[in-house]
Amino acid sequence: MNRRKFIKKSALAAAGTVGFPYLLPTGLLFARQPSLKAEHVVYVQFAGGLRQQESVLQRYLAGSQNEQIEGNIMYNLLDGKPPVDKIAYGTDDKQNNIVGAFPINQILQTSLQRQGTLFPEVRFSKGGAGHFNGLSTGVSGNYYVTAGLRQRTASPTIFEYLRRHAGFSATECWSIGQGVTGSRPLLNYSAHEDYGRRYGGNFLAPLITFGAPGQEHFMDFKNYHPDTDYEMFREIRGFLNKNFSNEGLEIPHLYNTPEEENSIREFIRATFEKVKEGRVTMPPVNDNGDLKVLGFTVELLRWFKPRVTVVDLNNIDVCHNDFTAYLKNIHRADHGIAFLWKEIQSIPGMRDNTVMIVMPEHGRDEQHNSIKDLNDWFAYDHSGSPNARRIFNLMVGPGIDANLKVGSETNPIGDAADVVPTIADIFGIKDQVKKAGLLDGNARSLFDRI
Amino acid sequence: MNMQALNKTGLWCAALALMLSFSGCQKDYFVYEINDQTILPVNSQKIKPKSITQYISILYTNFFQRAISPNSMLQAQKAIESIGDKQVAFDILLSKYMNDPKVILPTVESMRQDPEGFIRNTYKRFLVREPTEAELNWMLNYIKSRPNVTPEHFYFAFGTCNEHFHY
Repeated sequence: MNRRKFIKKSALAAAGTVGFPYLLPTGLLFARQPSLKAEHVVYVQFAGGLRQQESVLQRYLAGSQNEQIEGNIMYNLLDGKPPVDKIAYGTDDKQNNIVGAFPINQILQTSLQRQGTLFPEVRFSKGGAGHFNGLSTGVSGNYYVTAGLRQRTASPTIFEYLRRHAGFSATECWSIGQGVTGSRPLLNYSAHEDYGRRYGGNFLAPLITFGAPGQEHFMDFKNYHPDTDYEMFREIRGFLNKNFSNEGLEIPHLYNTPEEENSIREFIRATFEKVKEGRVTMPPVNDNGDLKVLGFTVELLRWFKPRVTVVDLNNIDVCHNDFTAYLKNIHRADHGIAFLWKEIQSIPGMRDNTVMIVMPEHGRDEQHNSIKDLNDWFAYDHSGSPNARRIFNLMVGPGIDANLKVGSETNPIGDAADVVPTIADIFGIKDQVKKAGLLDGNARSLFDRI
Repeated sequence: MNMQALNKTGLWCAALALMLSFSGCQKDYFVYEINDQTILPVNSQKIKPKSITQYISILYTNFFQRAISPNSMLQAQKAIESIGDKQVAFDILLSKYMNDPKVILPTVESMRQDPEGFIRNTYKRFLVREPTEAELNWMLNYIKSRPNVTPEHFYFAFGTCNEHFHY
């Protein structure tokens, strides 16, 4: 074959591959859509209840504490100068016993706001402004008015949409929880009968897996050979499972393939080794749970290079009784998210090929409660008041307009339910997700709102 | 005999032949006076999943011949909850237990000396029932055909199979 013929044939074959439908593992035909905006998505649920006043509005203490000091304590994410007085959000000055005296150094030279698109006024429009409700809306694109704790979402999660309609494998989809409380382990798949566990994403709560519980019950687990030993386990177990004929009654696994199961085990083993040797990649400051979770998230991204990763934070919820700690944890979440973005850019395959989405799960009230902290600053709850429904959304990565602001205080644009159709849009399955008819009526891809 | 009479006789004969042929196909129906019985698999009564604490408690007792402490149970429960795929989580938990020198397992020699006894005891220990003949034969053949298989392989597979997770 001469060179010209080869090039012609290669081009035809490539065009055919892109245009032709192909069979999903589920047996469904999927018309491949070539317009993928990125190969990977990392969605950070900036959770715990974040007020607009201390984030995009950059009010710092003004309005909330009778101290007229404004400033931006999220200077990796947002443009704006930090406060110049009453600094209480940094690391502690232990010598002089001043809490939060030293602001953490900026990681990113250019803020994510400048690198991407900011929707400064998004609405958490329905349901109660509770953490699990908020997290559930974020991953499923629907609202839950009556859902209680220990219940899976009624509508499918983004993991199920991607596994069913885009053919992603289980280890390509990860939900990373800050802990196992507040039903976080239930965010990886829904109770919907057409989706559910068959299409669930993997879940990991690294502070537990690699913390005291995991160290007691998982660390140094026996290293069985994946072929010889596990082959016999699977043969005997397979025979026993075949004879247990009660349909659907099985250990709730996530349809990881044997290779994927082995990869998860090896990831856990390797990460334990890093924990023992103090080699887990952590943000420069890592003095709270959120920052440690983001460190473990980087380890997981490096190992699996997942197509979609959802990670939730939680430490800012301390605002119920300690406003100073709330400010410190906002500042740390900003630091941790910047660290995550920087590390993503060092992972081959994910660098310049990942969209990151950052959104709080809900806000907090405008009126404080009666609890005061060590600085005599009032604390804030989240009760479903209009202020608790105000959030923002920030997107950055390939295909995302840089330095774009969509909406304003007087013109809110975007809904908390938008993230699912937005991720579906990024991966080219927006129409299938829409057609399933299980999103909130207001949910739209943020690309369509721009 | 005229033609009309002949036709009449023919019709009667045909009708009789038809009746006889149908009665000949009729199945004999015997009444033995025994009630109908629905036959179900031996494990069909196990329809409820164990809670994680129940599962861990039983698993631990089966492997260490003593009860797990409440504190250790709490930690084990959290560890299991921290991994989404419970099959992977249970496999790791049991692999950890298998690395503990205090774990109690039958020896390879005892399994090879009395494979039937080993299989029957393993079924009783983990699945709280006797194996069926088919199960027993399969397991015995497995022991015979796999020189490298050990009681540990059987205990691991039984401890992490679907039936063991249900009651």
